[in-house]
Amino acid sequence: MILSGWESVFFWIFSIAAILAGLLTVMARNAVHSALFLISSLVSVAALFILLGAEFIAGVQILVYVGGVMVLFLFVIMLVNVGAEEEGRAPIFNRPAQVTAALVFLALLAGALVIYAIPRGYQAMQKRDEAAIKQANAKRAAAESNLATAATGVSRLTRETERVGTSLYTYASLPFEIASLLLLVAIIGSVMLARTLKQEIAADDVDPEVLSDMSAASSKADES
Amino acid sequence: MNHLSTSLALLFQEASRASTAIESIKHPDLSKFLVIAAILFIIGVAGVLTRRNLLVIFMSIELILNAANLNFIAFARYLQDTGRGDPIAGQIFTVFIIVVAAAEAAIGLGIVIALYRNRETIWVDEIDLMKW
Repeated sequence: MILSGWESVFFWIFSIAAILAGLLTVMARNAVHSALFLISSLVSVAALFILLGAEFIAGVQILVYVGGVMVLFLFVIMLVNVGAEEEGRAPIFNRPAQVTAALVFLALLAGALVIYAIPRGYQAMQKRDEAAIKQANAKRAAAESNLATAATGVSRLTRETERVGTSLYTYASLPFEIASLLLLVAIIGSVMLARTLKQEIAADDVDPEVLSDMSAASSKADES
Repeated sequence: MNHLSTSLALLFQEASRASTAIESIKHPDLSKFLVIAAILFIIGVAGVLTRRNLLVIFMSIELILNAANLNFIAFARYLQDTGRGDPIAGQIFTVFIIVVAAAEAAIGLGIVIALYRNRETIWVDEIDLMKW
């Protein structure tokens, strides 16, 4: 998997955009700005998915994350009040000692990963797989020569989406069903969590402890 | 004379190293994707560890999950190139990670709303009811 030409140009543009937007997500004072920077980071990562030949996942990423999850985030930001942080009356980070400890730890982690672990591991892997890559490339080139060319004329259209769909309904069908169950539980759980006291009373489903507190308060009010 | 030749050899070595660096910038491979994913992961962890706002912490968790997705897709492509293993498995994993992230966001934001209703704050250093 070696990119070249325009692919590598787009790789650098989108990877730098993803990292910058990610940094700004963490640094932004206003939570709405954080959410918007996170959206641009997710879109850049979706573009990287397209460069890697995973068009279906890129589409799912934009539809589910940007279209669903981030809109949910923006609604919740609207519902809670973070004015003190936005106007600069409250710090946005934890205490300095905690922040320094976290940053030292993360700098060590980043150095170990980027300078040592990833290049070494990749070199070893490449050495192991050199022959297999050459063989598989030749085989794939023969198979792809009869595929249609993309509109830009730089690459062949793949059948990746078709294969993902087939795999999802064949060997991944049990996890697929479990995922639908998980989503159902998440819907019910978030509705239960976000109810107000009035809605709980209407459904006759108030916590007994809260109910006894409420009756004690009302009897105290009756006495006085 | 000897000095000159050794320094020339050193210069040549440096030049060849620089040219391989330019070559790797011109033709990014799997390791570049892994580096980008690692940096995104570290930015996400930094957000979780340093921010006070619960909503921004949730957004940082989304960044972490995205870094994992990028790794999965990059390795799926690499496996496709080697012809070993199932090249689609990585993409299937990514679909499930996105599903779990959506469920997690829904539950987490429900908790944020319930918390804000009861405690009037979403700053994690003020939410210390269960702290020893």
